[in-house]
Amino acid sequence: MDLMLEVKNLKTGFDIDGQIYHAVDDVSFSVEPGKIVGIVGESGCGKSVMSLSVMQLLPKGIGQITGGEIKFQGKNIENYTNNQMNQIRGKDISMIFQEPMTSLNPVFTIGSQIEEIILNHNKISKAEARERAINLLRQVGIPRVETIIDEYPHQLSGGMRQRIMIAIAIACQPQLLIADEPTTALDVTVQAQILELLKKIQEQNNMSIILITHDLGVVAELCDEVIIMYAGKIVERTNVDKLFYDPQHPYTKLLMASIPRLDIEVDTLETIQGIVPSLKNMPKVGCRFMDRCPSAMPQCKTITPKLAEITDNHEVACLLFEASNSEKGVS
Amino acid sequence: MTLADKQEALTQQKSPSPWTIARRKFVKNKLAMISLTFLLTVIILSILAPYITTKDIVRIDFTQISQPPSSESWLGTDTNGRDVFTRMLYAGRSSLTVGLTCMLFITLIGTAVGAIAGYFGGKVDQWLMRFTDFMLMFPFMIFVIVLNTILVGKISGLWTLIIVISLLSWGGFARVVRSKVLAEKENEYVLAAQSIGCKPYKIIMKHLLPNIASIIIVQATLMMAVTIVAESGLSFLGLGVPPDTPSWGNMLFEARNSDVLKEKVWIWVPPAVAITLVILSINFIGEGLKDALNPKSRR
Ligand SMILES: Nc1ncnc2c1ncn2[C@@H]1O[C@H](COP(=O)(O)OP(=O)(O)O)[C@@H](O)[C@H]1O
Ligand SMILES: [Mg+2]
Repeated sequence: MDLMLEVKNLKTGFDIDGQIYHAVDDVSFSVEPGKIVGIVGESGCGKSVMSLSVMQLLPKGIGQITGGEIKFQGKNIENYTNNQMNQIRGKDISMIFQEPMTSLNPVFTIGSQIEEIILNHNKISKAEARERAINLLRQVGIPRVETIIDEYPHQLSGGMRQRIMIAIAIACQPQLLIADEPTTALDVTVQAQILELLKKIQEQNNMSIILITHDLGVVAELCDEVIIMYAGKIVERTNVDKLFYDPQHPYTKLLMASIPRLDIEVDTLETIQGIVPSLKNMPKVGCRFMDRCPSAMPQCKTITPKLAEITDNHEVACLLFEASNSEKGVS
Repeated sequence: MTLADKQEALTQQKSPSPWTIARRKFVKNKLAMISLTFLLTVIILSILAPYITTKDIVRIDFTQISQPPSSESWLGTDTNGRDVFTRMLYAGRSSLTVGLTCMLFITLIGTAVGAIAGYFGGKVDQWLMRFTDFMLMFPFMIFVIVLNTILVGKISGLWTLIIVISLLSWGGFARVVRSKVLAEKENEYVLAAQSIGCKPYKIIMKHLLPNIASIIIVQATLMMAVTIVAESGLSFLGLGVPPDTPSWGNMLFEARNSDVLKEKVWIWVPPAVAITLVILSINFIGEGLKDALNPKSRR
């Protein structure tokens, strides 16, 4: 089966005071058609930078892809010009952002913002575009569509706006949707509704989704495959069952422990001590998680663990596993 | 009523566009509305000048030199025997033409340069801003004199002045627009627009500029006041509108004669009052627009 998206050894750096610091460092993964892949990690792990790299929407002049390949449906797109990317963006790959309150343009009506993407990629009349916009709004569960279509964003709640962002993202039936923390800014109840909607649309349109989140609970509900990222690198990758029943990387285990659970009563939720190192303070060699790791060993400081398969379809980058120790020549 | 019900009730009424809200607020602002009425009256009077009076504005009449106001000539006559009221109307034409045209040019150039520099950033920004700084640092007076000598005779003195003022004044405007674009493009809706395949030109025109339109409108209004002052100043110094075309500035020119200044106030007070009131009303309109367009002061 052809892959929807294949990212190989992607490196994305930021130019800070004339020097390049990598926020995404040698990341490889792939997304199969019709699958939902979760990318999980704390804030500052490089998840957004990774998705902006795929879309080539990094801040101009500061952020750039410095190495690796991005293949979309078998075609290398990492060297596409802005014009070529504009053909793809919104049509074949769409994106939803974290902040529904600022993702809509305040001076245009809801309808005109949905029509815009349709007219960007289709040669149809405004009336037809409006017709499609109405259908899309229905599809994402907006009530009173005929009124809301002519309203301005400032009167809508966050949940409603995120539904509209979803309507915009799926307007041209893209094969791949990148959702960057689509529910982080929303209330818990609204969160669940939005996730449900994403799932429903994914099944209807049979598209692939990359779901970025820092919440493993979201992953459990929706994803097929999971990638755990830490400080610009993938530390664990497997399917959702193995991840929850058999997590291997110490970072993953700590993330698990910090999910609130209904079946076990705990007084305090375990949170992970310390913070993700900033780009400038990233260790050059060794494991980036070492400072916060309960199982750290002396060699973690000198040997950079590499992502290796420990069992079938389960990759981990940690020196606790022979396979990750590149110095011993195991691959 | 639960919170959800209340929200429902709120959204029941059709939401007015941000422009409608701003217009309603502006109309409620008394000072701004009076100023707008005054300015429009002055503009209409100047346009209709030939229908209001048929007196000559150029021909010198030695029998009528420096006559005080009378029923014959409402504002008296100047040192060349020309009717001051008639000249005031025609002068309004020149001064307002300079103000409005310069405002248009400055806004167009300033917005284009500022928006392109701010949106694209990097090298484009560096070069455009370097050029802007260069234009801003240009010694104004020297430029005026040089351009005057080059352009004189080729186009009318009024247009020379408009070109000079416009070329030298868009720099500050471009800077303001650039800094607003820099701030505005950080909003996620710009990223969202890029993510649905909008081209840069469209993002600037359709997404960024409408969102900073309030700043552009307010700045443009104030620019009109600034250019009218510049016109008056230059004309007063004899560097602006040539004497054969009356403007409020070159009517003031006569006040340089101390006898006129002290004894024949009817000659210079009308243009001085006109300039002052027009500038004041433009500034009040600007303030009113600023208030009306400011989303934070929106109810
Ligand atoms: N425009 C930028 N300039 C410099 N550094 C940036 C920029 N955007 C992100 N970074 C850095 O890249 C790292 C990853 O950020 P990000 O991808 O936003 O994390 P997250 O996983 O929370 O989405 C962070 O250390 C952040 O400081
Ligand atoms: Mg992020």
